[in-house]
Amino acid sequence: MPSTLEKIRILGANSKYDICASTASSRSNKYPKLFGASKKWIGATASAGICHSYTPDGRCMSLFKTLFTNKCIYSCKYCFTQGCKQKLSFTPEEYARTFMKLYSMNVVEGVFITSGVCRSADDTTEDMLEAVRLLRFKYNFQGYIHFKCLPGLSQHLLKEAISLSDRISVNSEASTTDFLSEIAEQKDYKNDIITRQRWLKAIRIKHNEEVLKKMKDQKRDNELEYQEKKIIEHRKNGYKKFRWDDAPILNSGQTTQFVVGAAEEETDWDLLKRIDWQYKAVDMRRAYFSAFIPLEGTPLAKKKAAPLEREHRLYQSDWLLRIYHYKLKDLKDILTDEGNLPFGDPKVHFAREYFKEHSLVDPNETTYQELIRVPGIGPISAKRIINLQNQNYKFTRREQLKSVGVVLKRADPFLKINGKNQTTLQKFFITNENNIFQESV
Amino acid sequence: MNNRNSCKDPMEVLGRSKGYSQKELIKNLPRHYKYNSNLLNQIKNTPEVILRNLGSPIAKKVDKMLKEIFAEAYRAKQFTRTEINNKSVLFGVVLLKHKVMDLVLDYFHKRWPQCIICLYNEHTQLTGIINEKGITQEIKQSLKEVVKKISRKRQISPYFEDIQFSNDEIFETLYQSQNIKERKNTRYFNSMIPKHCFKLPGMRKGVEKRFTSKNKKIEEYFK
Repeated sequence: MPSTLEKIRILGANSKYDICASTASSRSNKYPKLFGASKKWIGATASAGICHSYTPDGRCMSLFKTLFTNKCIYSCKYCFTQGCKQKLSFTPEEYARTFMKLYSMNVVEGVFITSGVCRSADDTTEDMLEAVRLLRFKYNFQGYIHFKCLPGLSQHLLKEAISLSDRISVNSEASTTDFLSEIAEQKDYKNDIITRQRWLKAIRIKHNEEVLKKMKDQKRDNELEYQEKKIIEHRKNGYKKFRWDDAPILNSGQTTQFVVGAAEEETDWDLLKRIDWQYKAVDMRRAYFSAFIPLEGTPLAKKKAAPLEREHRLYQSDWLLRIYHYKLKDLKDILTDEGNLPFGDPKVHFAREYFKEHSLVDPNETTYQELIRVPGIGPISAKRIINLQNQNYKFTRREQLKSVGVVLKRADPFLKINGKNQTTLQKFFITNENNIFQESV
Repeated sequence: MNNRNSCKDPMEVLGRSKGYSQKELIKNLPRHYKYNSNLLNQIKNTPEVILRNLGSPIAKKVDKMLKEIFAEAYRAKQFTRTEINNKSVLFGVVLLKHKVMDLVLDYFHKRWPQCIICLYNEHTQLTGIINEKGITQEIKQSLKEVVKKISRKRQISPYFEDIQFSNDEIFETLYQSQNIKERKNTRYFNSMIPKHCFKLPGMRKGVEKRFTSKNKKIEEYFK
């Protein structure tokens, strides 16, 4: 009988390529507690999250992240469980107890529960849910739980998982049906993944409507109007910054993960198209990318690893889509001929292309949409600049921009203040050449 | 800097990304170990415009002081390693130069509302205690004595009895299992856990230090 330590060692190593944010809970003191305000509940979530440790690659390691079992009926070509000969499973009691021990040591902040698919998705999920139930109702843990939805999971189990977790993720792994069948031929992209993502959205919306009804009963008119407005906005635009203020379920939304570089011809453009669709169609909160690493014992052991740089560029582009609300076609303009993102910051590449055709930005006159296209200016500093514009304050010196949080060395080439802009080296040479030419003429 | 001119120019304040308000400064500055009442008077008499403008020496000074305070409290929340006994007493050791014990105790109290929390501050050699009602106090006794005294009066809790098992290797095993060799990034790691954090009581013997140590075993060179 393997010990708990042995299980943590092997199942932890099996899950290390699964990526998640440390503690992405949007719960805070301002919003209703998940299970009421009784003192019996243990654990808390800080909205910004607290990282208790970091792995040697600098990633935050604040969740108890292990597989529940590494027995799996699927044979995905990239997966670690393929190469692992020792097959183990936690018992729900063992899992919950081990986590509570770690939590009492102040070394973890929450749970990330994922698993291989043993027998069927429903069977394995039943066991995982049992562990979560123990955490919630035996150990009274009200902290952060991230639950992984296994491919092909039934709707009633998904509903229960939603009611107990802060976040649910359904791994997409690849951007299209063809690419998925190349690396995980047993998985059905439409049925196993997209349908589950749609269910998650539908359950959340239904729940929100129920919350609205409750609020109607309570005659909280102002808040009701506010919520209704938000919901209309939400349905029109898809998920952006909408927060479930009064919803005690799934408040950290749903996420997904892609294995970058495992499928032979999958390009960055394919991935970007897919995440953009997911943000709009299934209320995706965010996407994670994991650069493919060949693992011994797997069918793709001899394939070349995907560069980490590629993963980084995808995260940057995702940020532009999700936070800056760039349009997908904006990013299309900067792609290479192969459909991948070029080397270097996508925002800088985009700005270089964009400001060839458009005039430089004058922070005293421009709009928010123009401002966030300038590298070194983010949504917060752009809002501050617009705030100052509305109050009729004028920037007279470039250095003043620093005080609103602009990274001047990045923004300077794209700015124009009092009609003056930074001279580039290229322009300098051109003017000198012209002068030489004129002199010689 | 000319006070009058600064007051006239709200640009210096509006939309600033840095600096603390006068209210925040008055509330939190007494936590700093270098705090004195003259400084507080100086802040009270200084316009908010100047306090917010990090170009002014006074603002620079107090901003740095406040950042030191909050950074210390945050590091203590992150890297304090605690134990819990079967009588629901949670205890650990901290190293706090500034007066932020209440913030750290409150953080643990919110997580473990049924427990009495005892944290021994190596710097002041005082033990901070917070009870179930959220009342805090500091006493000049060692952690062992305090935990022993408090535990004596309390009954064994089945809940905490259940999670009493050897804990030395659990976290170490979990930590090692999460390491992806191919992604090793020492520079990033050092920015996340700066060297000074390894001086904190919870991190002195931490697995993080051993795992990222520069000292290699001779076998590693032959691989």
